[in-house]
Parts: sequence; structure tokens; C-alpha cells
Amino acid sequence: MIKLLHVEDDADIREIAKMALELSGDIEVVQCVSGEDALTVVQSFVPDVFLLDMMMPGMTGMQTLEKMREMPGLDQIPAIFMTARAQHAELEELRNLGAADVISKPFDPMSLGDQIKSVMAKTT
Amino acid sequence: MTGRSAFAFATGCVLGGGFYTAAQALLSGQAQQIVPIAGAIAVSSLFPMLLVKSQARSNAKKVNLSLSQRLDVLKAHALVNIVDEQSRVVEVNDKLLDLTGYTRADLIGKPVTMLYDEAGKKLAAEIRNNLARGKTWQGETPLMRADGSIFYTHTTVMPLFDTKGHWVGSISARTDVTHVNKLMSERSTASTLHELNDDVWIVDAESQSFSYMNRAAMRRFGVSSEIYTQKTLTDFAADYGLAPIKIACDALVESDGAFAQLECDMDAKTFQVTIKHLHDYDEAGRLLIMLEDISRRVEQERLEANFISTVSHELRSPMTSIKGSMGLLLSNAAGNLPKSARGLIEIAHRNADRLVLIINDILDLDKISSGQMDFDIKRINISELVQESISASATLNQRFAMNIECVGTEIPHWIDTDPNRIMQILTNLLSNASKFSKSNGRITLSLEAKGQDLRVSVRDEGAGIPAKDQPKVFQRFADMANSERSVKGGTGLGLSICKAIVENLGGSIGFDSVEGVGTTFFFTLPKANAKAHQLEEMVQFREVG
Repeated sequence: MIKLLHVEDDADIREIAKMALELSGDIEVVQCVSGEDALTVVQSFVPDVFLLDMMMPGMTGMQTLEKMREMPGLDQIPAIFMTARAQHAELEELRNLGAADVISKPFDPMSLGDQIKSVMAKTT
Repeated sequence: MTGRSAFAFATGCVLGGGFYTAAQALLSGQAQQIVPIAGAIAVSSLFPMLLVKSQARSNAKKVNLSLSQRLDVLKAHALVNIVDEQSRVVEVNDKLLDLTGYTRADLIGKPVTMLYDEAGKKLAAEIRNNLARGKTWQGETPLMRADGSIFYTHTTVMPLFDTKGHWVGSISARTDVTHVNKLMSERSTASTLHELNDDVWIVDAESQSFSYMNRAAMRRFGVSSEIYTQKTLTDFAADYGLAPIKIACDALVESDGAFAQLECDMDAKTFQVTIKHLHDYDEAGRLLIMLEDISRRVEQERLEANFISTVSHELRSPMTSIKGSMGLLLSNAAGNLPKSARGLIEIAHRNADRLVLIINDILDLDKISSGQMDFDIKRINISELVQESISASATLNQRFAMNIECVGTEIPHWIDTDPNRIMQILTNLLSNASKFSKSNGRITLSLEAKGQDLRVSVRDEGAGIPAKDQPKVFQRFADMANSERSVKGGTGLGLSICKAIVENLGGSIGFDSVEGVGTTFFFTLPKANAKAHQLEEMVQFREVG
């Protein structure tokens, strides 16, 4: 079972992603509504992979990851970003900043689980 | 003849109406007829200082100025001509000939209007009306030289009558006021320059010391002419953070260039700075520097650019929810759907896809318009890319039941280009070919090396593009076959984006189409890209080193 922490401010997208990921059967999903929320949750839940929305009010996905990287035991956890800014240069920039993968919005819910597993297969 | 008798005779002439003869005498130099001339002069106010004030008359007598001397002054000072009642030139003085470039033979007997341009001819009619009523006319008239150039004169035209009081012509005395007008104009220009809202500076090109600042510039820097004339461009560059202007001025003078333009920030404002190197003053010349505050324009452009990008991105979040929900429903995540409901959800899902394509295309167009479309040039085997594009279009091909054949992809074709952008073009052309082909139609995708270029073509056997629509093919939202587009799911932007991408990659795009037979879209790209070669050489150098 893959433990995944999903950080997303949009409630509808959270619900769709949770349903899609749970359909795959072997992903345990914990969700947070903001970067600040995620920083609290990771103190009691250490995931195998982060799925972070890039643009959020307050801390962005990247800022959230940077803060979590400073916390013990979280510096090597692969991070996947979701972004609506899907232009080529912006995706490359995210990858250069340490993203294991970047998923463009709108994403295909039926292949989301496979994308997560593919990243996990590459990083473990 | 004494001055007193000349005056008396002139007065008599005025009363008796002998001007015409008098004026002729003036110009022909017949001494015995000179006296009436003085009368003409007097009335036409050419010498008011001699004749109007008694004190002046008295002084004239004291200096014993001869009439011929007085006439010499007039002839030297003014341009004089006489015309008959038909406005034909009867006589002109030498000064008028000198200034106009005509000979006496050119003008005598000709209409005086040959000295006028179109504006002057209209004025001539007004003057003639005045003269016919016995009135003297004064004002500014343009005169045309023999070479067609214009000069301006202040003119007095006085009617001439014979002894019976019949109007027989007129005499004109003119003073060239071109230089006065020029001075007035220059003063007006200088005054306008001083009142401009934009800053205007003038600095010496060599020493870069300030010689002029208009009011706006003095106000901005809080300096008077006493202060700025003690300053140089270096002082201002250091005091106000205007180093870019100083650098641009140095470069302009160094290269002996004529013009430079740059943008510069000062006091949280953006200025467009225009520098002109003027050589009209001395060898080193002067630099005319104009600063236009373009802060509002820059901010407006930034807002406009951000608006399209922001709106497009903001649309993606709700689209994620809409497409995601429908995708889950179609995969039976919420249970099996009745057949009719599935059909409707499929329609909604397909149109949500279409909306996402439009958003992507609008973002691409925005990038193209602002020159910000990025390209990641790599050396790739385009034969592989073509195969990938067919796989990427599989869903579409299934929907439209197409048979795709490849020609020339069995051998590798290496090219320096952006694979993502080429994939974008290929999927677009394949998508178009599928949509506009008959069901089970054939699409042929070909690769062909042509010298230094590579040609990629996508041929369909569809209905073809009507001749009347062909010129609009690469236009944005071209209005051809609008109904087809809505049915088949195009955005109307794809081909204009393809064209922009191909051209940015140094290639060209086109098509051949025959109605009822089919359409072939093709693009050629240079196999070698200078930028990619530079990168490759750097890598090789590092590897060898």
C-alpha cells in the first residue's frame, strides 16, 4: 500500500483525486487543504509520496515542499506536482526544482493512480 | 526739386489721381516724372516717417534729403511692381527680379498671378475686390519664385486711377518677411518645446554638459538653468540612477550613430528615452535626449498579458473538476450508467476536452503574440517522433476510423528541433486530417529529406478545402466551415499556431488541396539548427577536455 499525502485547496478536485486514487486499490490517501495544514499533518503521518497542488493561497506547493524537506525523515520523499500552468518551460522548471513528476490540470482521473505508481517504481 | 515741392506735388497727385503715371515713372527712372511717385509712396504709407508727421517733414528738410535718395531707399528696401486694370504686369523693380529669379521680359505683360501659388491666387481675388472699390490693401502674401519655391512678403497694394478717376491698375510694394516668419516660428517651437510634458534635455556630445532642459525636466530634477548648466550627464547618471542613459549616449557618440532608444526606470516610473545625435551646431554635435513617461502603458501591457494567462489558468481548475467527474462516471466509478446517460456524458466529456484544447491554444497564441514561446532544441530522430504522434492520436483515429500509413519513417531522420513543438504540429495535422476525411479513409504521413531541409507531410483523402477558403486557412478563427468545426471539434486556432511554431523553428508550412480529392499539409524544417550545434560543440569540447 502506497501512503500518499495530497495537498490541494480546491475541495472538488480533492474529492475527484481521492476517488480516482482509491479506485486503484493500493493507495492510501490523506488530504490537506493547504501547505500550512500539511506541515501539521506530516508530524503524525509520514507518506511515501507527496502530491502537491502548485498554486494555493498562502504557501505554494513548492514552498510547502521546501518546508517539509527541512523536517526530519521527509527530505527524500518523492514529490509530484499538479499545476494548471502547464506550459513547457514551467513544467521543466518544476522538474529542475526537484519534482519527481508534474501532472497537468485537468488530469485524467483514470490514469492518476498509474502515474503515482510509475513515479514510485522509478524512485524506489 | 526740393522736398517741399515734391510733397506739394505728391498731394496734388493724390487729389488729381495721377498715380499710375507716377509709379511708372518711378520704375522707369524718368526724372521729370519722379514727383508723382512720391505721392504714391506717401499714400501707400511706405514712407510714413517722411510724410505723415510734420516734425518728420521738418527734419527731412533740415537734412535736405533728395527725392531720388528717398526713392533709392524704397527701391533698395522693397519689391515693387505695377499692374494694369487686367492685372498684367506693367513694370517691376530690380529687387523683385533678384528675389524671384525672373527676368523683366518674363514678367512684363503677364498676369501678376504667375508670381502666386494657389493660396496666393485666392488672395489676389480678394485684393482685386479691394482695389476695385478704391481701397488700399495690406497684408501678407506668399510669392512664388521662378524655381517654384515660396517666400513671404508684407505687402501694400494701392489702386491707381487716371485723371478721370477711372481705375487703371495698382502698385504693390512688398517687404520680404520670410526670415521674420522663420524667427517667429522658431520662437514658437522653442516655446512649445519648453512647455512639453515630456522631458527634453540637450547636452554637448563631447563634454556631455547640459545646455538645455525644458520646464518638465527642470521641475523633475528641481534645478534651474543656473544649476543644470554646471552639470554633466555623469552627474545626473550618478545622482538619479540614470546610468543606462549615460551608457547609451557614450555608445552613440563612440559609434557616431544618429539615434538610440531605451527604456529606463526612475522614481518608480518607466521612461522611454530617445536620444538623437545632432550635428548642426559644431563638429562634435549635441545630444537631444527626450524622456517620455510610459509607466501607464507598461502597466497596461503587463495587465493585459497577465489577464489572458490568468483567465486561462483559472479556467483549468473548474475544468479539472468537470472532466474528472465525467471521467469517473464514464469509468463506472459511481456504478453502471444507463446507455442514454452514458451517451450524454460522453458528449459533455468530449466538449470538455475541446474546451481544454481552446484554453491551451489561447495560451499558446498569447505566448506567440508576446514573443515568449519557448523552444527546447534537441537533436532527435523525427522518424520516431512521427510514430509517437500516431500513437498519441490513437483515440482520435479510432473515433474517426482512420487508416494511417507512414512513408519514409523506416530510416532515421536526424534533425535539430523542439520535439514537443513538432509533436504539437503533427498531432494537430493528424487531427485535422482525421476530422475532415471520410470514415475508414486513408491518411499518409511522409518524411522526405530535401537537401538541407526535411519535409514532413500529412495527406488525407477528404473533401478538400474549397478554393475560396484556401487563403484563410492559416488565419485565426478563420470563418470557413464553421459548422464543420463545431461538429468535428476544432478550435480554429491550431493551424495558425502550427504556422507560428514552424516559422519560429526556421521552417515554412503550406498545403495543396483539391476539392473532392483531398488535402496535403506539409512543413519543411532545416535539419541543422545553429543553436543546437553550438550546444553540441560545447558538450563535445567538455567531453574531449
